[in-house]
Amino acid sequence: MRQFLRNQIVQLLLALLLGLGLGLAYSWRVSPVTYVDAVPAILRADFKDQYRVVIAASYASTHNLERARARLQLLGDTDMVSELSAQAQRMVAQGELLEHIKPIALLATDLQNGAASLPPTQIPSTIVSYVSTPFTNNNLPFTLTPVTEIPTEEPSATETQTTPGGKPPKSTPTTTFKQTALVPVTASTFVPRPTFTPIPPPGAPFILVGQDQVCKTGAQPGLLQFILTDRYHKQIAGIEIIITSLQGEDHSFTGFKPELGNGYADFVMQSDTVYSIRVAGGAFVPDISAPACKDSNGISYLGGLLLTFQQP
Amino acid sequence: MAQSNWIKIVIAASLGIALGLIYGWVIDPIQYTDITPELLRQDYRADYVLMVAEAHQTSQDAETAARRLAIFGSDSPAQIVASTLVYADENHFTENEIIILQGLLTAMQTYQPQGINAP
Repeated sequence: MRQFLRNQIVQLLLALLLGLGLGLAYSWRVSPVTYVDAVPAILRADFKDQYRVVIAASYASTHNLERARARLQLLGDTDMVSELSAQAQRMVAQGELLEHIKPIALLATDLQNGAASLPPTQIPSTIVSYVSTPFTNNNLPFTLTPVTEIPTEEPSATETQTTPGGKPPKSTPTTTFKQTALVPVTASTFVPRPTFTPIPPPGAPFILVGQDQVCKTGAQPGLLQFILTDRYHKQIAGIEIIITSLQGEDHSFTGFKPELGNGYADFVMQSDTVYSIRVAGGAFVPDISAPACKDSNGISYLGGLLLTFQQP
Repeated sequence: MAQSNWIKIVIAASLGIALGLIYGWVIDPIQYTDITPELLRQDYRADYVLMVAEAHQTSQDAETAARRLAIFGSDSPAQIVASTLVYADENHFTENEIIILQGLLTAMQTYQPQGINAP
């Protein structure tokens, strides 16, 4: 052994391996590569969920489907629709606010359809207090210090940025800038909408057009299925259905399972429980309960119901 | 052991260290898979803030917008939007997008947190 270790080649190899080990330990443990310009695809799962929520909320505002699709692609999901549907169902299970869930269902449905349910929107001119063109680095029409009002400007005004105390702010960038070619559109006519307005179902209120027993052995016992369509029998997503019983109230939405139809929703009924169904902006159906079915051997089991609602 | 031998060993060890560093930093660096949003590239951060602004344009919900911006760490929501506005201006965002961001900036500058709300 001693003879072996005295071999010069062995010594060099051992030194090389020792150095290699030290180098790897340093580069992987002590000072690994740090990411500063990461892509959304490697975000942690909960941040990806948050990213999807914001994409969907943005889409609900702009209805720009292509942009939403491109943004979702950044997350590296193999099946965007499935991911959105799964997230919507997770959020329902976690009891999150319905107004945060509905845009996700809407986006999943529109991606499934391949078309936006509403046309892309442009920013309304009424929210513009003034438009300054052109923009340059030192000519930004906003301040970096807290303000409570947007100043109203005359065309070609010269503006000096000041703090409420009248002293120049300490922050950079420049404290003085010139605004040229101001194009006043509307002076502070913005009317805020204080709360989220749920997307109402377009058209007339829904009415119940079909109530069918579903007796299939092997199916989910007590499954209450809903299909909501417009007057042209096109299924509609994002409609809220409220299911009430003595046990309490549940909410379901069409479009969470786009693979079963954009106007599809379901709910599992308990035996010996009577439910009332209310569709947002439409029908009220009382006295709904799971029917008793019999299989070919005469054995009784809990069946399901299919309720079909349509806009007249 | 002769001095020349020690020199050879040190050279071999140095070569090993260099190879180890190249392998660990370049060939097979540590792969991060669960990063936090503050590590996102600036254009992705800017697009995220723009999305928040687009959503806020309709909802006018400053609380939700501030909460969504809070994933970027310790900067205040107004600072995050202000720096995004600078980036947007430098990178030729459309006029509509800049106006939407301005709306969010105004909302964040006047926003007063109401307390801790989930999520």
